[in-house]
Amino acid sequence: MNPWLHGAVYGAGLLGFMMTVGALASWYERKFTAVVQNRLGPNVVGPFGVYQPIADAIKMLRKEEIIPRDADRPLYLLAPWIPTFLVLISAAAVPFGGYYAADGHWQSTWLVADLDLGVLWLLAVSGLMVFPIWMAGWSGNNKYALLAGMRMVAQGISYEIPMVLTALVPVIAVGSMSISDIVAYQAEHGWLIWKLPGIGLVAFVFFYLASLAESNRIPFDIPEAESELVGGVLVEYTGMRFGIVLLSEYLHTLVASIVASALFLGGGHMPFLSAMLPWWTAPIFMLLKVGALFFSIYWVRWSWVRYRADQLMELCWYWMVPISLAMVMATALMVTGGWL
Amino acid sequence: MKYFSGSIDSLIATIKNSFRPVVTESVRPEASRAERYRASFALTHDANGEQNCIGCKLCENICPSTVITVVAGPKRVSEFTGKKRGYADDFTVDLQACIYCELCVSVCPTDSIVMVRVQEQPSFDREDLVLTQDKLYANETSKPLSWANGTKLRAMLDPNASPEEDAS
Repeated sequence: MNPWLHGAVYGAGLLGFMMTVGALASWYERKFTAVVQNRLGPNVVGPFGVYQPIADAIKMLRKEEIIPRDADRPLYLLAPWIPTFLVLISAAAVPFGGYYAADGHWQSTWLVADLDLGVLWLLAVSGLMVFPIWMAGWSGNNKYALLAGMRMVAQGISYEIPMVLTALVPVIAVGSMSISDIVAYQAEHGWLIWKLPGIGLVAFVFFYLASLAESNRIPFDIPEAESELVGGVLVEYTGMRFGIVLLSEYLHTLVASIVASALFLGGGHMPFLSAMLPWWTAPIFMLLKVGALFFSIYWVRWSWVRYRADQLMELCWYWMVPISLAMVMATALMVTGGWL
Repeated sequence: MKYFSGSIDSLIATIKNSFRPVVTESVRPEASRAERYRASFALTHDANGEQNCIGCKLCENICPSTVITVVAGPKRVSEFTGKKRGYADDFTVDLQACIYCELCVSVCPTDSIVMVRVQEQPSFDREDLVLTQDKLYANETSKPLSWANGTKLRAMLDPNASPEEDAS
């Protein structure tokens, strides 16, 4: 297929999928919260209240847009859109489908762009996420938002290091930065979470925790910290801009789930079943994995408490960074020693 | 290790809790409101169809958020009773700052201002939330009035009253 046409078709598909899930995530979070807290949750609009995001969007679109008088106007208006854009493009290199070709090799399909440096693309784009949040924190001219922005920058930069290091573990083990190669390797040799003894599981957990920290979810949500900082960088935002920032946070959790399931859980591959079942089951397996990880984010949200700022830094710099470094070196030794 | 086991325990507790039965009730828009629900205001007329308000400005003075404005007119002889009494030329309640404390109702000596049991509709204009005299008199007929008026409320506050009377 023509690469432009391919990019347009699959890009539109990915965009539609992510916006749908991102909108439904707000309903899902409220419903799951209600189940955990023995409440009913949204149940008025549509079956089980599933149209609630539409009602919320209409409400937010009709709200008054208040721009603070002393705000840095261009930055203030631009800040909500950039994280959404970044998070939407970051999943472009992840394959959602795949099948065993005639020669027994796993062929990854259903991805927007088969980048040779897919992992680098992901990390680079998620590294940029710090800037729009800081823009939002700075431009509103609000003390709470500024504090939240500073916390976010500190947390984002710190947790990027274990995230990059743990993402290097599959890269080194496979010997390729292309995510479709990583998925294909896992389909042929077993998932990396089990394939690397011990290291795989720890690397997966660390990568996932670092992704949680990057997307400001509990237990790493000190940038939001509604009990101390009112609403974090969202303080000055109203109407649809507020909604867009929320949407980008939900999308960030979705992308974290997608990437973690592709790097460590074998993407669309399922042991024993993939060899027997036709090609269209691979996206279903992928979505099952993404759904399980997505569920665990909300599970964790109502189970754990928020870290204090210094505990957060301690966890990152005393534990996750050294252990990740050791895991990267151990993986490199295993590869050079020929044990993989 | 203590933190690790604690984290796992809390995850298990979350799952266990999510299987418990729901303890809250569904929202029922059709359900009747509580007896003492009160939302907006109305001004009343007496049996002769004359306004109850005598323009004494007690409600304006007692209002904690000063949202009531009364313009008292000159005293004149009532054509129905033949007695000289006051009238209010204008009466506005600004609902934007009203805290619904009902002090104006309880202080009113003539049971003129009462509360109604239906809210004002949301609107796009702030001025729609200011109840003018016309709107207040229209509320008397268009909306169900609250059970309370100044006389009843003051009787409830009387320490010598018997407890049975307050059961209304």
